[in-house]
Amino acid sequence: MTSAAQTAHRTSGNPEVVISGVGLAVPGITFPDELLGAVREGGFDPHTGLTGREMRHKDRASRLALRAAEPALRDAGLHDGKAFTGDGDTTAVVVSSNFGILDSVCAFADVIARDTVTGLSPLGLPQTSSNVIAGSVAMRHGLRGPSLTLCNGPGSGLDAVYWARGLIAAGRAETAVVIGVEPSGDAVTKLLGEPVFDGAAALVLEARDRGARPRAVIGAGAYARGADPSVAVAAALGGRSPASVSLWLPGEDACGAPGGAPAFDLTGRLGRCSGALGVLQCAAAVAYFDRRPDEDAAVLASAGGPADDAAAALLLTAP
Amino acid sequence: MTWDITGMGAVASIGGTPQEIFAALCAGRSGLAGLRAFDTAKYRARQAYEIDDRARPGADEPGRATRWLRQAVAQALTDAGLPHDLADVPVLVGTTLQEQRSAELWWREGTPLAPSDLHFGTALRAEFGATRTYTFANACAASLYALAMATDLIEAGAADTVVVAGTDAIGESAFGTLDRVQNDIPDALRPFDRSHKGMLMGEGAVAVVVQRAPAAPEPGRRVHARVRAVGVNCDAHHPTAPDPEGITRVVRDAHRRAGVAAGDIDLVMLHGSGTPKNDTTEAGVLAQVFAAGPGDGPGSGDGGPLMTAVKSMTGHTLGGSGLLSLVVAALALRQGTVPPVLGLTDPVGEAAGLRLVRDTAATADLGLAQIDAFGFGGINAAAIVEAVR
Repeated sequence: MTSAAQTAHRTSGNPEVVISGVGLAVPGITFPDELLGAVREGGFDPHTGLTGREMRHKDRASRLALRAAEPALRDAGLHDGKAFTGDGDTTAVVVSSNFGILDSVCAFADVIARDTVTGLSPLGLPQTSSNVIAGSVAMRHGLRGPSLTLCNGPGSGLDAVYWARGLIAAGRAETAVVIGVEPSGDAVTKLLGEPVFDGAAALVLEARDRGARPRAVIGAGAYARGADPSVAVAAALGGRSPASVSLWLPGEDACGAPGGAPAFDLTGRLGRCSGALGVLQCAAAVAYFDRRPDEDAAVLASAGGPADDAAAALLLTAP
Repeated sequence: MTWDITGMGAVASIGGTPQEIFAALCAGRSGLAGLRAFDTAKYRARQAYEIDDRARPGADEPGRATRWLRQAVAQALTDAGLPHDLADVPVLVGTTLQEQRSAELWWREGTPLAPSDLHFGTALRAEFGATRTYTFANACAASLYALAMATDLIEAGAADTVVVAGTDAIGESAFGTLDRVQNDIPDALRPFDRSHKGMLMGEGAVAVVVQRAPAAPEPGRRVHARVRAVGVNCDAHHPTAPDPEGITRVVRDAHRRAGVAAGDIDLVMLHGSGTPKNDTTEAGVLAQVFAAGPGDGPGSGDGGPLMTAVKSMTGHTLGGSGLLSLVVAALALRQGTVPPVLGLTDPVGEAAGLRLVRDTAATADLGLAQIDAFGFGGINAAAIVEAVR
């Protein structure tokens, strides 16, 4: 056993978990504050941004995830522009994506019908499993801690942040890279009846006592999932008054308003974000706190409504 | 901390309950049959270990992975003596393909599909009122990964009872791409035998009820087995091939978490997927891990633990396969019987020193079992379970 694994085990207890880095691969956007309306020239362009040697033979979701993960690691001080500088053995990867490989799966079925299996490319094998995205990110940066892929519906992104926090709290990891990604494609568009958000967001989570620059806090009881959006929101608020929420980032159907807090709908600009939404919401919350370093602010993110199998809510607080 | 397995359910090609499956395994009865799911003319491999439950033979239908999941969870709840109401109980589902087959049928044949059909929370809400539901698409280590997350939830005080499950139905793109990639065309899954030609998929679902052990003994409370630890990690090495270093690390991590030495393990439920790469890698790692050494506990020096591989009869049931091995381990520990590896006559060199059970079921006094599950993306899981007497 490595000494790093022993270290991870020792630190289990109940550490305060913070977001220490954010990275985006969102069309037209460079920095997280643009999610909340800041305007800059340029921004990520998937037509030019997803090419290059290291992208070869990768599925679209993996490419988007790789483009978001590296800036998040750099933002957290865990990447020097050349390579990951953290401890690979104690770094987890958690991915949320509802439609990550749907287009690959449908395309492969088409090829089999037309040309039999001999028409398939052997290089497509990793894309038959939804965890290809987490595997791509882990391989690129040498992240050998736990790897989790959630395909869990509208709340999937917030669920992923919850489980990443849990991996750190349980001592299974010291750091977690969380990625929310949805790739566009013909099958996804047909299934949803509209194009899906085509991009990725990444966060770095770690225990505050590691000395990272904290950008937002994910508290121990700050997440809830349940049948009723309002109940989930109330549970995520814990003892806090709804009036203490400075910003509400609603889900696609705007359920679970925590009171009179101003709402900002990320999907107004980005479209239907599905499994990427929760991670985008956390990225936006970090941008919100970054702009208000002296305020005791709280941002509530919610997802899912009465038509879904469950609603999820997460309260992020200022560092 | 330890965790009690108080209920078990499973469906597979060889049986519709854990007991039926265990009996079939001990009798050496395989679920292998001609491929029923697809037009065989399109494939090289024409065998699989399917559940033969389609309404019309030769016509595939959507929603089968979900249907078996509901069955397995219902069995596990009944077995545990719990109501079929999971409003407050987390349900963690490990899967490789989710409802990928339903998506293929929607795309190719126009059968109905809603985005909400792709994750299992939708059906678990409808059937059991469950909302703390999580679909972990963690390849073929998925259900043991889900078990690890369940033990963490209970240890953190976030739940006292968790349902952990796994399910997969064969999908065309996954079966086809594997078929395209394998050099040989397997006519059966023969783990660790020199004649192994690769992996063949199987179908099935499995569920267990995991509970916090009560503070005081509760007379009449039945516990199938006790989970001592689950280790999880990632190779970060290759998209689909196993890495001996990552597998060694996860096995040693599971032993450390459980507070056991390699020499304490009496039974290993192998991943045993029948691909030459898996079999030589897994056997090579275990030969090293279980080589008698200083510090081994009592029981060492007897040649190491018995080992078996249920995929030789169930096929590779993908996301649920690790948990299915765990359910079989629980029954094996209780009954002191270990099913054989079907079709094993001439083990690969790496497995020469391993005590693989052959031909017929073995009987032994068993206390501790290790369960292996490895998946694409380089992810590994290993669980340690203990007999409860």
